[in-house]
Amino acid sequence: MTFANPLFLFGTLAAFIPLLVHLFDRRRPRQVPFGAISFVLKSQRRTASRLKLKRLLLYLLRTFILLAVPIALARPQFASAATVAPSRGLAATAVVVDTSLALRWKDGSALFDTARDEAKAAVRELAPEEPATVVACTRSPAAAAPLGFERARLFAALDEVRPGFEAVDLNRCLEVAARALDDSPLPNRRLVLVSAFTQASLHLEVAPPVSTGPKGEKLKPEIVLRDVAKGREELPNRALIDARAEPAPQLGARAWQFTFTVRNDSGEAQKDVELRLEVNGEVVSKGFVDLSPGGTSQKTLSHRFAQGGTVAVTGALEADALIEDDARALVVTVPKELQVLLVNGAPSPQKYKDEAYFTEAALSAPGSPVHAVTRDADAAWREDFSKYDALFLLNVEAPPADVARALAAFVEAGGGLFISVGDHVEPEAWNAAMAQVLPRTLRVVKTAVEPSAPDASSRAARLVQVASAHPVLQPFTGPAREGLLSVRFWRYALFESESGGATAEVLGALDDGAPAFLAARQGKGRVFVFASSVDRDWCDLPIRTAFLPLMQRVAAWLTGTLDERESVRARVGETVALTPEPSQSPAFARAPSGVEVALTPAPDTASVTGGPLPEPGRYEVVDAKGQALPSLAFAATLDPAASDLSRHPVDALSNWFGEDVVKTAGSGGERARTPVWTWLLGLAVLAFFFEGVLLRR
Amino acid sequence: MLLDAHTLSRLSGVKVRARAVVEGVLSGLHKSPHQGQSVEFAEHKEYAPGDELKHLDWKAYGKFDRYYVKRFEHETNLRALMVVDASGSMAYGTAGLSKLDVAKVLAATLSHLLLRQQDGAGVALIAGGQFHEIPPRAAATHLSVLLDTLDQAQPGGTTDLATAADTLAEKLPRRSLVCVFSDFFDDRADALKRLLALRARKHDVAVFHLVDPAELQFPFDDPTLFLSMEDERRIEVNPREIKQSYLEEFGRFLDEVKDACTAADCDYERVSTGEPLDGVLLRFLARRGGRL
Repeated sequence: MTFANPLFLFGTLAAFIPLLVHLFDRRRPRQVPFGAISFVLKSQRRTASRLKLKRLLLYLLRTFILLAVPIALARPQFASAATVAPSRGLAATAVVVDTSLALRWKDGSALFDTARDEAKAAVRELAPEEPATVVACTRSPAAAAPLGFERARLFAALDEVRPGFEAVDLNRCLEVAARALDDSPLPNRRLVLVSAFTQASLHLEVAPPVSTGPKGEKLKPEIVLRDVAKGREELPNRALIDARAEPAPQLGARAWQFTFTVRNDSGEAQKDVELRLEVNGEVVSKGFVDLSPGGTSQKTLSHRFAQGGTVAVTGALEADALIEDDARALVVTVPKELQVLLVNGAPSPQKYKDEAYFTEAALSAPGSPVHAVTRDADAAWREDFSKYDALFLLNVEAPPADVARALAAFVEAGGGLFISVGDHVEPEAWNAAMAQVLPRTLRVVKTAVEPSAPDASSRAARLVQVASAHPVLQPFTGPAREGLLSVRFWRYALFESESGGATAEVLGALDDGAPAFLAARQGKGRVFVFASSVDRDWCDLPIRTAFLPLMQRVAAWLTGTLDERESVRARVGETVALTPEPSQSPAFARAPSGVEVALTPAPDTASVTGGPLPEPGRYEVVDAKGQALPSLAFAATLDPAASDLSRHPVDALSNWFGEDVVKTAGSGGERARTPVWTWLLGLAVLAFFFEGVLLRR
Repeated sequence: MLLDAHTLSRLSGVKVRARAVVEGVLSGLHKSPHQGQSVEFAEHKEYAPGDELKHLDWKAYGKFDRYYVKRFEHETNLRALMVVDASGSMAYGTAGLSKLDVAKVLAATLSHLLLRQQDGAGVALIAGGQFHEIPPRAAATHLSVLLDTLDQAQPGGTTDLATAADTLAEKLPRRSLVCVFSDFFDDRADALKRLLALRARKHDVAVFHLVDPAELQFPFDDPTLFLSMEDERRIEVNPREIKQSYLEEFGRFLDEVKDACTAADCDYERVSTGEPLDGVLLRFLARRGGRL
């Protein structure tokens, strides 16, 4: 036991006062002749034993009060063998508190609560002459506050520390703490590390921290390890470490399937762990997974959405001691029902010669959100275009001027327009009628080879360049890309190189450099031009496997429903980048807890960035007017590495820091950290109260 | 006006105090205390010094050659003996008069009243086993003898009611009114019982139990050395520690004395030395129907 203010112990001599008063009190009592002395004698005899006991109690209580008060003022501290006053004398001290996700692990109380108590105990155990500071260890720790003697400031700093959602860099934090100690004139240094010592946060491959003395000499600080999970070999945990979402057209329109990966970071197998799929907070599907010790398992759950739109989806595991990594949020954009008008410029009774046949078949495949209506040109021009999300002009003659204006207005207002060429497309007439809409001016039709030629297959033009980064062509990677590149073009339209009504983007180019796919935005709408025909007359694309997904994605892109942000994978602690529509101006992202993360335009790009993201879950994006932008909503997930709660063995820590400087203090010291002086004062007050009661009786 | 102890304490001597109380009592009585007198012969009594010579029965002398005195009924109408405890504890008093002073005044007053109605009155002083008696006489001049006796009584010795009771039983040949003035601080268990046994001998016993306010309230705070007023006993106590117990003991003692008197069919009057004495006597007389 040590005392913070040992001088007060001299006050314990006051405990002899009651004894001295008893021994040397020579006050002469007043003498009173009294007639009824017999009754005084009787009363005295009757109460003698009780009075003797009462006097003894009073003596003990008074002695205790006079003993307890100075001892309490001396601030006694019980310390375990590890935390006795350092043999090396006074030391400048930095208390490093781990705030990693692991400290949210809870068994009754969270490890972080224990960590805060341990840190406060470490501060209390310091001698008054020892300067100290506190380092809240995060992934990117800031410089520590200067050393100071004011303990209240340290306690306030500890009260402000909050546990995080990611693994921290304890090595970096120890380095920061060691730098803070460099300023001290004291020859001794001490680092108190309050942590769960997970392997994800502390790496033993690098060198342990070293402080620099006043003369530039290297000082090996004394290390006090306060293990907040002392007594536990492991912190068993299971986590949902990955979640993927993809459309499942085979299950019906707007059906999606979600594949979750679950990891078991414990030494015991777990069977029938419940996994729930929640849509907008409502459980829509359940499954069970079996987990081997230390193993991972995947489970796929599916759901068919009632309608399109941006939806928050959450996969949630049965809760365990670390609930933060038991759920994972996703934001998916379910395609809406699309109304598409196919304008068939060259209807044919033979289906395989009819462009609308191939296109309608592709757009209306099972699971597709497209509802296609086919009309010939004359009928189509009488339609109200505003009823449709997109128009497909398939080998159509140049429309009359009023129709051309209507088409331009349709696109300007947000409609999608697909144009494929063919025998009926006269470049000059089209250029004259549709100059406003065409991304580039049509020049001539080029014939690479006649399809009936014997060497047509080898002389046909082929795609040599595909913009895989564009949302329309993103799925075309690997074999799908090869399939697309193998399409043969016998005839195709050539375009002027200068821009037409809008900036056109070439998504695919043929081997002679001629654009095969042109995409452009006009007003709120979009235009996609295919330089060949969508039947087998000019190319064989319609009979290729790439045709169906290509047309569906073109339709989705034209109508703005293609999820261009499905690749947004935001992680807690990192910065998120979003690509808003030109008409959108996001201002901030709102976390599930309501915390707002400002979004700022990234230089030289159309995207905005914000971060670091403070917590996992679905983030709502809001513009400057406070209007929510559902299409930009995203989900932030935890780093799976942070969920790995494997701990370093104490021996390994001692070896790393050096056994000569390591001291350990753990939960066993928690009881010892009880502030004895407050108990003593409390008991003294109680004794004082009882003394008063006894005196009154 | 009722005469309290403080007022009486300013008057010197039993005579003056008794006269003051008598006047107070008489003014409070509404019924004449005078009784019809009888002259019928009652008995012969052998002559003793002090008997009146006019009552000598010369005829009896002629027959028996001895002196006999004739006694008449009116002389034996009431014989009262004021038994005053003059032990050391009776000297205690905190309200102006000691208990003995109060006892003297009460005894003198009652004697005065009795002689005034031509009843016989006597005084017996008891202290430490001593018994000093002035026999009851009905002569008006006897009052001054009684008052002088009372005036000269000094407190001292132990309370010995048992011995006094035995002496009284022996000396009182006929039914008499025995008024006992005492604090009854007699440690012997049967003392009071023996005194009250006079009642069984057809005597009319009236007990005036004298207590001091300090004995009733025990108003002491600081550590005190209490000294006995009758012997060498002494005890140092913290009065606050034993006050409750003392009050219980003393209250029980008062109740025991009262209960014993009631059980023995004796009049019991508790007299605090601080209260007006004419009020005490009026209360006493009222209880006895205005008669002595």
